[in-house]
Amino acid sequence: MKESPQNKKLETVLKSSKLVAGGFMGYDTRSVSEIIDSDTNELSRFGLTSEQVAGRMQQITDIAKSGLETWVRIDDNLQAKTDEARGFLPCPWPHSGRFVKRITILRRVNTSDTIRWSDLNIHLIDEHGFFQGKGSSFRIEPKKLIEMIF
Amino acid sequence: MILTIFTAVIVVSLIGAALAGVLVISEHYLNDYGRCRIMINDERELDIEGGRDLLSLLASEKIFIPSACGGRSTCGLCKLKVLEGAGPLLPTEEPFLDETERQSNVRLACQVKVRGDLKIEIPKELFAIREYTCKCTEITDLTYDIKLFRFELIEPKTIDYIPGQYVQLQAPAYKKSSEEVYRAYSIASDPAEKNLIDLIIRLVPGGICTTYCFEYLKVGDEVKMNGPYGEFRLSETDAPIVFIAGGSGMAPIKCMLHQMKNTQNKRKATYFFGANQPRDLFLLDLMKEFEKQLPDFHFVPVLSEPNGAGHLEYEKGLVTDAVRRNLKNATKSEAYLCGSPGMIEAAIKVLLELGMSEEKTFYDKFE
Repeated sequence: MKESPQNKKLETVLKSSKLVAGGFMGYDTRSVSEIIDSDTNELSRFGLTSEQVAGRMQQITDIAKSGLETWVRIDDNLQAKTDEARGFLPCPWPHSGRFVKRITILRRVNTSDTIRWSDLNIHLIDEHGFFQGKGSSFRIEPKKLIEMIF
Repeated sequence: MILTIFTAVIVVSLIGAALAGVLVISEHYLNDYGRCRIMINDERELDIEGGRDLLSLLASEKIFIPSACGGRSTCGLCKLKVLEGAGPLLPTEEPFLDETERQSNVRLACQVKVRGDLKIEIPKELFAIREYTCKCTEITDLTYDIKLFRFELIEPKTIDYIPGQYVQLQAPAYKKSSEEVYRAYSIASDPAEKNLIDLIIRLVPGGICTTYCFEYLKVGDEVKMNGPYGEFRLSETDAPIVFIAGGSGMAPIKCMLHQMKNTQNKRKATYFFGANQPRDLFLLDLMKEFEKQLPDFHFVPVLSEPNGAGHLEYEKGLVTDAVRRNLKNATKSEAYLCGSPGMIEAAIKVLLELGMSEEKTFYDKFE
């Protein structure tokens, strides 16, 4: 399918390293729409929407924040902590909104499996259904994420 | 038939190239704003070539306005008053400016394009800010994700700063970033060593500047930084001090402790350092030295996961729990905090409960 000029402009921003080192697309050669469609399909196999996934991520982040950068118990088998750095990140989509540089790290206690996301990740998934391109620093595989957080 | 198609392609390409040429040439002339005058504080006038943003134009004149995002309108730090010539407020500026600032003509320097003469107001102390060329002389692992970077100043050769202030380090364009960026880091050095700047930096995954520092910066490399900036500093009272900072937030506190040692400051001081595990602690030997050298200083590491025996000397729980346990009454104390907004808000809440007045809490919030 032919990409719209807006999507092409967006892809240029996502591929650039203006906001995060290495950009949001990683080595993924698919278009933004293809990545979003593919990940949305993956979510629907689990009967979930991107809003539901982002909602649960936000819930975990909110609990983790109370630990002041130390590990907090989420449930019997999950712990989470947040790390914050100075500054903000704007959403690469053309709208206002900026997000603190906060990273939530979620750890499964019995296996030490970990997954991490930023506040911007939550917004990108919630508002845009975008889990980022493969190979980017904050690409989240929907399957792994769902298995961890639900 | 093929010849016709080929000719058509050539003609269309030539027309396209010609139009592109016209665009480039017209842009050159239309965007030529010529010489512009910037009057600063009714005292100093700059005569510069217009067409760029105010932040970078001032930087090219060696006037450095604080900015942590390098001019992308994401940090909101580069505020100054533009009294004349700025044009309307941009949507990119609106989230950073409250009503009072808008009424006072405060703008983000990175978003104001210089298209004509301007009249601006900036704090006088910014004139003292310099750009420094430095050489990285030492990189020390402090924890698995925190390093101490030591820089020797090449030009100018020395720097004067107040402990608690920060510099902006420039990460040049590199493999994972197509353009240079500036990021703010608190100075961690001993202020007596005027030719050195130490920075304590934690790796931010995907962070442009920290990735550069951790993966690309090598001992011997030259970098640029500018500063010093910031209002975070020790007061000149005798009030007992409560320091609270974990991780890389130790940087300005360490600098203040050096200063206290250098000036033989006799104030009672307690430093609560929050972390997860023993592996997150660092510079313990230096803290022990400070305990010996300062008349009344105590370092209190607080671990949320002390990992059983062997670490009985550490406080357990959240850093705020330890503050509450150790500081029964904070009415006469002052607090100096460095870290995430969440940590600072939680710490201030506890300190107020312990009787400290809010104006005695000083902090350097990561924002």
